[in-house]
Amino acid sequence: MSDFTLNSDSPVGHPGKAPPTHPHLAFNFVRLKKITAVGVKSIYSHGLRSLLTVLGIVIGVAAVIAMLAVSEGASFEAQQQFRDLGANNILLKSVKPAEVEASSSRGFGPPQAIIYGLTIADITTIRESIPGISNVIASRIVKKNVWNLGKSMNTDVVGTAVDYPSSRNYNLRAGRFFSEAEVRDHANVVVLSHEVANTLFPIDNPIGQSIKIDSDYYNILGIMESEGFSNLGQNQAGASNSAPSRIYIPFTSSKSRFGETTTRQTAGGMESETVELHEAIIQIDNQDAVIEVGEIIGQILQRRHKNIDYTIEVPLALLRQAEESALRDQIVAGAIAGISLLVGGIGIMNIMLASVTERTREIGIRRALGAKKKDIITQFLIEAVILSGVGGLIGVVLGILIPFVISAFWGMTTIVTPAAPLLAFSISALIGVVFGIYPAMRAADMDPVEALRHE
Amino acid sequence: MLESNPDTETTTAAPNSSVAQSVVASLHDISKTYYMGALSVEVLHGISLDFYAGDYIAIMGPSGCVKTTLMNILGCLDQPTTGKYFLGQDDTSQMADDELSTIRGARLGFIFQSYNLIQQLNVLENIEMPLFYQGYSAADSHEIAMGLAQKVGLDDRVDHKPFELSGGQQQRVAIARALAVDPLIILADEPTGNLDSKSGAEILDIFDELNAQGKTLLMVTHSDELVERSKREIRLRDGRVESDERLHS
Repeated sequence: MSDFTLNSDSPVGHPGKAPPTHPHLAFNFVRLKKITAVGVKSIYSHGLRSLLTVLGIVIGVAAVIAMLAVSEGASFEAQQQFRDLGANNILLKSVKPAEVEASSSRGFGPPQAIIYGLTIADITTIRESIPGISNVIASRIVKKNVWNLGKSMNTDVVGTAVDYPSSRNYNLRAGRFFSEAEVRDHANVVVLSHEVANTLFPIDNPIGQSIKIDSDYYNILGIMESEGFSNLGQNQAGASNSAPSRIYIPFTSSKSRFGETTTRQTAGGMESETVELHEAIIQIDNQDAVIEVGEIIGQILQRRHKNIDYTIEVPLALLRQAEESALRDQIVAGAIAGISLLVGGIGIMNIMLASVTERTREIGIRRALGAKKKDIITQFLIEAVILSGVGGLIGVVLGILIPFVISAFWGMTTIVTPAAPLLAFSISALIGVVFGIYPAMRAADMDPVEALRHE
Repeated sequence: MLESNPDTETTTAAPNSSVAQSVVASLHDISKTYYMGALSVEVLHGISLDFYAGDYIAIMGPSGCVKTTLMNILGCLDQPTTGKYFLGQDDTSQMADDELSTIRGARLGFIFQSYNLIQQLNVLENIEMPLFYQGYSAADSHEIAMGLAQKVGLDDRVDHKPFELSGGQQQRVAIARALAVDPLIILADEPTGNLDSKSGAEILDIFDELNAQGKTLLMVTHSDELVERSKREIRLRDGRVESDERLHS
């Protein structure tokens, strides 16, 4: 025998290399690493099959994360809008009553003189009958052409109080808002919105200059920052103004310069509208009472107005609604993702059962060489967890990428919270355990003799 | 067998004085009955045998079923219906599944006709496997397995997978694996059955060497060549011990 020589003085056994006296203590990280390595090998040897198997988990996990990101983003956007309107605020707006709107738009009949909307008397009554109202900012909104030399634009001229910017988290970009004194004096001063300032003064600094409305000149005191979300909120509420272009003058100035009646040309003739107040922001001390106060104001206005020529908007209530609908979205998304994870889990169970059958002989060999049932269970369970874990990881990567793609192509706000990938990944690992346990137990319960004989 | 007393019957083939006298395994009145529904077949009828350390035993018999059943019981893969089987000092016939697994791994080495190596694992990993289940450290397992691979002349093939080896080489891996835990008995079931005569002879040479080093070997076979090399020949017939003789003594 050329390639076989027994060293005659080689000792029998392995002196100094006894197995640990407590074999159960040896079931540690190293052991686990070894079993894991075997599992990876076995999965790797069936690459395509394993990949197809985990597809369900991949889709499920990616769906969970992407759906959560989209709904989180949508609810963030909605909440941002309503928060900008002020959580302590109740917004009242005058709207043209529906029946009047209908008749005037038909375009015939006599010239109409319509009187509608909120009045100062309404506000006084509300203030007197409800405690806890800290402030009311009433505004008049008139559409005017505003001129700077040759440039002009049609814009909403908002006659309002000094608290207007602070009441709706609306800040100045430059300069200052008008003062109490200027309100008292019916001063010809104006604060421009960001958009108006950009249109009328594309190059030079407007502060200190003046603009012309009708025949009067107004000194420019300041410029608001871009309105952003708060303006979207107003559109949603159906306010009369849809343009982001607004300029602000003292309430008193608006009343004395423009009066309360506006006339406009319609298809059928002239039409005049008289509106005392277009908008009022009612601020409440205690945020907990906002929704309740909103209801009481509704009752007061219902008694005082024959037609519904006003709207009441409680941003906090809308915020709550948005939160509720966001929660509903998440439950639906969760259910869809849950079903897909369940299908993924069944896929894993299926493939593990196939693997157990395929490797019956291996199981027999391992049992003969000293593997306990527990060892076999561990081995197959770890394989199932690796499968679902790898699927989960791929799913996490996809689930984080998909919201990026959605944001890039559709401009939707998406937010991936750290909890979402963590949750989805944990679920996928759990699925590996739950759906791996039955095949693993079947493997362990095989009769070693039968398993060894298996072809 | 002139005497009918079962106590002395098992001692008829006691080794001569040159072999250690300690008993490593003994069967006491083992019987095995298989039940198939209402039908019951008794395969083994009260077999009693003692196996001594350093012995080289060949078990012969015409029917595969009797030999296989006895081999499964000796390998602690199956339990006798009645009787006791002592492996070392411990009676295995009443052991629970986990204890059987442990005793298989610690005290027995298996060599199968079809090698039964795990195809996904390389030579070294196959040899290490019994050590892994006994809780040896990775470093110790590696050292032992490397030593054994060298012993069977495969130290240059430790990274190969079983399907890359010839039958004789695979069986040598299986021998190394069986030696890994330094078992009380090495059980070989038709170890040369799948091999050509040259590789078969090589395997038997290894067996001779191992026995010369004091390893206890027990083979189940119907090959006369194997029997010639052994020191003790046990013949089974109809589920009983027909003859038990010491050879070349």
